[in-house]
Amino acid sequence: MNRTTRTIIKIFLIAAVTVGCVALAYYLGSNIAGHKLATASDNMNYSRWLEKYFALTRAAGLLNGLCALGWFLSARFLFEVDEAAGAGKRIFWAALMMASLAISLGVAHFYAPILGIKLNGIIFGLFAIIFTGLGYWLLTIFTTPLAFKYTPLGARPILKRNYKAD
Amino acid sequence: MSFYFVSIGGTGAKVMESLTHLCIAGLLPDNERLYITAIDPDVGNGNLERTSTALNNFNVFQNFSVGNDTLLFKNKISIVRPFPWNPTGHDKTLDDLIEFYHHSNTPVGKLYEVLYTKKERETTLNEGFRGHPSIGAAVLAKKFDDGEKFSTLTAQIEKTIGEGESVKIFLAGSVFGGTGAAGLPTIARLLKNNLGDYSDRISIGGVLILPYFSFTPTDKFDELFARSENFLPNTKAALKYYSEKENLFDATYFIGDSVMTPVGEFSVGSANQRNEAHIVELYAALAAADFYARPLHAPKIFKYICHHERDKFSWSDFPASAERFVQFARFIFAYVHLIKPVLNDLISGEAKVYKYPWFVDFLDGVDLTAPDVVNFNFYAEAFAAWLKQIETLDGREIFLINPAMFESNPARLVDKKLFAALDGNKTKLTIHEIFYRLTEPFKFDSTVKGFGKFLRRLYDTCADN
Repeated sequence: MNRTTRTIIKIFLIAAVTVGCVALAYYLGSNIAGHKLATASDNMNYSRWLEKYFALTRAAGLLNGLCALGWFLSARFLFEVDEAAGAGKRIFWAALMMASLAISLGVAHFYAPILGIKLNGIIFGLFAIIFTGLGYWLLTIFTTPLAFKYTPLGARPILKRNYKAD
Repeated sequence: MSFYFVSIGGTGAKVMESLTHLCIAGLLPDNERLYITAIDPDVGNGNLERTSTALNNFNVFQNFSVGNDTLLFKNKISIVRPFPWNPTGHDKTLDDLIEFYHHSNTPVGKLYEVLYTKKERETTLNEGFRGHPSIGAAVLAKKFDDGEKFSTLTAQIEKTIGEGESVKIFLAGSVFGGTGAAGLPTIARLLKNNLGDYSDRISIGGVLILPYFSFTPTDKFDELFARSENFLPNTKAALKYYSEKENLFDATYFIGDSVMTPVGEFSVGSANQRNEAHIVELYAALAAADFYARPLHAPKIFKYICHHERDKFSWSDFPASAERFVQFARFIFAYVHLIKPVLNDLISGEAKVYKYPWFVDFLDGVDLTAPDVVNFNFYAEAFAAWLKQIETLDGREIFLINPAMFESNPARLVDKKLFAALDGNKTKLTIHEIFYRLTEPFKFDSTVKGFGKFLRRLYDTCADN
């Protein structure tokens, strides 16, 4: 597989996992806490709550996807390693992970009142686990360009176990 | 087929240095073993010491498991000992060596006194024959009559032939100095005589180096030493000898330069005689490679190699694969600039492993303080230093590797962008590209392993394709 093909596949993977995370957050959130939260919200029935909640997961998922894509594109096209000291970039990766977490929690915290729906701790936990944990951390482990492939925390034990040089 | 190389004198040692680099870079033909020996009475001279270091480095790391399907390290080297062979011993004069005291007041002794001045007879020969081939001829003839050295060299050659192989022997030395001028014809004749029974299995070639450098002795030296003003008369006499006598070589190469490059600091010999590498020596090493590539009993041919511009050398003047050489140079620069500092930092604990995927994939668990790795580190810097000397020659403009690559010692790049145009041709091979390629999937056979596997991968990534 050449580098261009690998790049295209990884971009598609980021997009697909982002969509998957949105679907997962929507599915789990609506099934675990949807009825209860719809009842707790003012002027809200379940189907209307689902509509608003879906908008919320889309927003959080899209912004998290942009974090994962931003890391990928930066590592693939922006960062140059022409000196040993230029390698790694874990601070940049970690900063994006913090941004992802801030987005996961921030979107839920600030956008939900705008949409007029109530959330509880389960939804916040789900967003953090699904969008930041799965949609950024785990996704970047498998989609980080090869020159930085061990930069995401935990990437080394996961990838090295499956690595076969020849 | 086996290749033998006999370095004679200081210039021969410098040719040997270039040949060692060509050999390691994979520019010698086939996968044959190269047996190397050196003859020099000035065993401590700086040129020989530098060459010996590179040779000994390679001797240690040549068994890296890089695989059999690569040019890298494909020609193994064996050093024929004693290395170097010193025909004069320590603190000996010509009188001592030919045992003049047994012959004084005899007709032979009186003839000897006529042929050699008192200074020639009584100067100790620790620093070589001091530009006097007449001294060298007498010493070498006497020593070879006694059977020294050649018992080991000819025994090694006979052993090789006994194993069913043919042998190509190449001699290198200057015709304008002392040891080379005396040794070339003497040793060629001796090899012909000693190995006469195997003449159908042996071919002997030689490169006769003509003057290409000059120096100015300082006044304080009131002793016997080589003088560059004698180089041309010496050369004329030597060439007359070769034209009138039977040519002992199956292939003869004459290489010199019309520009006499001044050497930095004059030295009679010993450790201070550490002259910079020169393009003439590289050409002489390429002559050896050409000789080894020829069929065993190829007809004698006369070739005249010229270069395109009088005072410049570029790749178009290079009678060998520029592509292979550039790939090897790129490999060394990438190693010294990008890899070696990381390895040092990792050993000292100053670097984090995750930053270097190639380290995790190839070198995790490899002992980076093992002698072969350490010797490769030394060698890489020695190659860069050698290349720098050739590129920054006084009196010659050499355009093989971009001279700006050598702004920092030994091969750390000040301007990293230069790496992609190492040989003047723009490529996509940036340092980052090398770093990236090192992490991409690849396939080697199971014989490729350890540090050799990493070097092989690095070498392959340095190919411009």
